[in-house]
Amino acid sequence: MLRQMGEAMQQGNILQVIGTPLMLVVACVLLYLAIVKKFEPLLLLPIAFGMLLTNLPMELGQRLMHPQFFIDPQYLIDGHDLDMQMIASKGGLLDILYLGVKLGIYPPLIFMGIGYMTDFGPLIANPKSLLLGAAAQFGVFAAFFMALILGAMGLGFDVRDAAAIGIIGGADGPTAIFVTKTLAPALLPAIAIAAYSYMALIPVIQPPIMKAMTTKKSRSVVMKQLRPVSKTEKILFPIIVTIVVGLIVPDAVSLLGCLMLGNLAKESGVVDRIGKTMQNELMNIVTIFLGITVGATATAEQFLTPQTLGIIALGLIAFAFSTFGGLLLGNIMYAVTGGKVNPLIGSAGVSAVPMAARVSQQVGQKENPSNFLLMHAMGPNVAGVIGSAVAAGVFLAMFK
Amino acid sequence: MSISEALAQGAETAVVGLGTVFAVLIILMIVLHIMKAVFYKEPKPVETQVVEPEPVAEAKTDDIDEGELIAVLTAAIASSLNTSTYNLQIKSYRRVGKKRSAWNGAGIRETIDNRF
Repeated sequence: MLRQMGEAMQQGNILQVIGTPLMLVVACVLLYLAIVKKFEPLLLLPIAFGMLLTNLPMELGQRLMHPQFFIDPQYLIDGHDLDMQMIASKGGLLDILYLGVKLGIYPPLIFMGIGYMTDFGPLIANPKSLLLGAAAQFGVFAAFFMALILGAMGLGFDVRDAAAIGIIGGADGPTAIFVTKTLAPALLPAIAIAAYSYMALIPVIQPPIMKAMTTKKSRSVVMKQLRPVSKTEKILFPIIVTIVVGLIVPDAVSLLGCLMLGNLAKESGVVDRIGKTMQNELMNIVTIFLGITVGATATAEQFLTPQTLGIIALGLIAFAFSTFGGLLLGNIMYAVTGGKVNPLIGSAGVSAVPMAARVSQQVGQKENPSNFLLMHAMGPNVAGVIGSAVAAGVFLAMFK
Repeated sequence: MSISEALAQGAETAVVGLGTVFAVLIILMIVLHIMKAVFYKEPKPVETQVVEPEPVAEAKTDDIDEGELIAVLTAAIASSLNTSTYNLQIKSYRRVGKKRSAWNGAGIRETIDNRF
């Protein structure tokens, strides 16, 4: 390593000299955030450790991960297809595990577990929630738009990069990874880290926007209790969503289909055993593989770029605009229904389940301590998951 | 790509994309409304019997065998103090916190914590 640093120093490439140690510091900072500050530790901890492993100064042949095998045209067959033979013979442990990300296996498997843990009842009881879930995808397209402009101004984002950055606004880790590994694999570590960090920061990002966009009166609206939902409806819902989405946005089906399979496993109540595996063992195993390999793609030359800073800024913009979009429609609904809808549930359309819904509940309760918005906010919240998966499908269909 | 091209493409994609997202979710909303019409029947307002808990509770306390209650209390205190019931003598007891029993409260709290 010292020899390499010496050579780089002579060439005057400062980033190559400090890159590796700097990445080790970044990995340790992320470990600190995960362990001490409890920022999505289930993901951030393996991501940060993967980053640590991949940046250890080793010879090329000893490395656990070679991100260039998946990105650099020099290593790809005809410049774009994976060279499986080479990965199998020369790859390290993490290269092999990373195939699950690259081939799009892990995110849908995680969605299966999420589907099992999701209750679509509040959404079925209040179908209007779907509109809020759609409005909260505004940030996806706002960030896409800005990333394109920044790209045109010289930051080097093309359309596909911009789409992958935009999807951070979907506030859905697996969805963001699924889109990025296809459209902009080189940006994967930065986008995954931005998405998961901002999800953890939702209780900080959202409340100021919520307070600025609503009045004291509208915040204290108490909503009518939701109707009970029958088992038939809960069983039919995942089946219908899969068919409808499959017909319109086929590219969203690998994510949404698995989400709905998990949900059907729960609601049908006849496959308890596989349901337990989906939400516990399978999801945990996949989360470990996903986290550690996504972190491992963050080598110094991939991560220490001006693009990373751009992504971190655009990610925050995406989250803020998604919150804005949801609240805007929430306010419209408040006006149209003559004050029956509390606009605060709009911000829960940002699909970080259940944090965004919990924030709506807390902000509402500050105004009116006897107000329980949580169940009302869960509707837009799970609608947001569907919305962001559809937005991801749209991007994949357009730019794949 | 020049800035004007970026603006044009960004706007076009945003309109098409957001439009598709809304279209899909609006279709789902319509489906949900149909589902409600088919499967959901407004529950008839059942005449709820007003239970008056006060007299029932009082009647119950009268029925309870004092000796048995004291035996239970003694055993509970003995086990929590790690001593024998022979070392304890209960002179008087009274109920505290009338509204909700501790078990009831703990149960509700646990349910809330589990779900949210």
